[in-house]
Amino acid sequence: MVPRIDRAVMTRSKTSAIDHAGRWLLFGLLIVYTLYNLGPIFWLIISSLKSRMDLFAMPPKLIFTPDFSGYQSVFGVGAAAGTASAVGVFDSLVNSVIVSVTGTALAVFLGTLAGYVCSRFNFLGKGDFMFFVLSTRMLPPVAVLVFYHLMFARLGLADTRTGLILVAIFANVGLATWIMKGFFDGVPKEVEQIAIVNGYTRMYAFTKLVLPMVKGGIAATAGFCFIFAWNEFAFASILTTTQAKTLPVKISAASGATGIEWTQICAAGVVLIVPVLIFFYLIRKHLLMGMTFGVLGRR
Amino acid sequence: MSGMLRLEGLRKSYRGKGALRGLDLDVADNEIFALLGPTGAGKSSTLLASAGLIDLDAGRVHLAGRDVTDADPASRDVSIVFEGFNLLPVLDVKDNIAFALRSPAYREDDGEIARRVGRTAELLRISHLLDRDVGTLSGGERQRVAIARALVRRPKLFLLDEPLSALDLKLREGLRAELRDIHRRDRSTMLYATHDYHGAIAIADRIGIIDGGVVQQSGTIEEIFSLPANVLVGKLVGSPAMAFFDAAIADGHVAIKGSAQRMPVAGFGEVARAGGEGLVYGVWPEDIEITAAGTPGANAGSVYALDNRGFERAVQVETAAGSFRKVVPHTTSLKQGDACGFVLPATGGFLFDRATGRRLSQQDGSPA
Repeated sequence: MVPRIDRAVMTRSKTSAIDHAGRWLLFGLLIVYTLYNLGPIFWLIISSLKSRMDLFAMPPKLIFTPDFSGYQSVFGVGAAAGTASAVGVFDSLVNSVIVSVTGTALAVFLGTLAGYVCSRFNFLGKGDFMFFVLSTRMLPPVAVLVFYHLMFARLGLADTRTGLILVAIFANVGLATWIMKGFFDGVPKEVEQIAIVNGYTRMYAFTKLVLPMVKGGIAATAGFCFIFAWNEFAFASILTTTQAKTLPVKISAASGATGIEWTQICAAGVVLIVPVLIFFYLIRKHLLMGMTFGVLGRR
Repeated sequence: MSGMLRLEGLRKSYRGKGALRGLDLDVADNEIFALLGPTGAGKSSTLLASAGLIDLDAGRVHLAGRDVTDADPASRDVSIVFEGFNLLPVLDVKDNIAFALRSPAYREDDGEIARRVGRTAELLRISHLLDRDVGTLSGGERQRVAIARALVRRPKLFLLDEPLSALDLKLREGLRAELRDIHRRDRSTMLYATHDYHGAIAIADRIGIIDGGVVQQSGTIEEIFSLPANVLVGKLVGSPAMAFFDAAIADGHVAIKGSAQRMPVAGFGEVARAGGEGLVYGVWPEDIEITAAGTPGANAGSVYALDNRGFERAVQVETAAGSFRKVVPHTTSLKQGDACGFVLPATGGFLFDRATGRRLSQQDGSPA
């Protein structure tokens, strides 16, 4: 007969073995998930550094001599300068940065103000207004593209950065309003009440007390808006022709000229994702806090 | 005793639901007035209205003799402590306390701020916390800081909205005593909203019983005990609350439904109603005598529940006319499910109108 205490020990060691196996399984799954996510980016980066020969080699080459011709033609520098293969994305990169950053900043600014008003004040038609604001995101862009095109052409906004910034604001301000309303709902109204009773203005309470409490939310909202603005393709492809082309439009256009230049496209793809990575790296702390704050609500 | 706060006919609805329905209230200078009522009674709305933080549908607010109904909250010179959220997370403890003294309306110079923050922190025994981040404080410490912030400005009126409800019993009792002590030293005026009967009578000079957005009765607890205005008041004060029995007047006597005891109607003075049905007899449980089952002259009941209160037991007695709770010594031999008897007193009862709840008469025992 197995003594009782030994059986207890066995049970415990059995449990810990299961725990151990579970942990390794989880670890394995996370590795697979990470590879699944990072694989394409890894492929994109090494492909952007391969020559055309190496790119199509079978089996795929993991060790190769880096070839920067893709980047040279993307930026129109070095050997590719002035040649027909130069894509010259610099202008469109600048366009993308200006349009995305300005559009995001304005959308978040307006969304923050609107979200605060919707969170704190009651006004006639508030429910309808909130639905209307959200409904601007429900339409597929293609449904309104033609109207935008006609309207922008009439207003002289076609192929301008201003036009694209307006599109970025229109597309994002509704989302920003909703997200920010959620964050403001999570801030107790007592914050403003304490300030007002003690002799401060509501504006002071909003700017100095409430806004610092939702800075994680602002960062998260800016993150979402920036991704939408940066990746926006449909509007930019229709509303721009030469001057205001953004990076995604430029890359897609580059593929048609002399067949598909995969190395160039990969290099341009890397150029496209780097600003997003930098942006998210900078706001990562706020982003995590912001995401949970909205869910957990009132602290 | 001059009036510090006078509320007249306050009305306020939220989405069609009345929170305040013609509320009147007077708080005297230098007193602690407790507003006692259940959740949703209108306590918080009363405080917010006094501070000017809600727009009233009707009514006037007078503060220190001035009509402040339309006045800006900042100009009213009141301070407020809430139940849950009080401390501003973007400021540390010191700056939270000094918050009011840096505002455009109540600004003081830096030396004065330091002096007053130091003194108030000492008063509330939180001097050691001054440089701490508010996120690191315990619940009791947080409320101390919140009270300190309200005190530091020495406003005309303190509005305390369930300031201790979130704290455990020991902390609550300690802080309550401190508030009382601060009041004694500063002679400040406090309007203290709470649903805690014991807390209210422990701290207050006078209390107001609020329910349904109306102050049902106000006065000292002794005044309320001796003449409760209506059934609601009887249900909200006392521990246990007043015992109520369905009653009727017949043959010159007040008869409790299903019980043997008859009380001469003459003992109730001039009963407003000519008699008959629709009455409720109320009596404080302390005046009821619990006897063994079958005691001659006693009414029949049974022990429905028996709660242990340490040195005492709270017994709930079921009767044909209703149930009541009473505190008995822990030496009682009663057990759950036992039959028992109870005797109603010859004086000290009240008759209420069942439909309106209003008190009709008081039993003083005098013969006709």
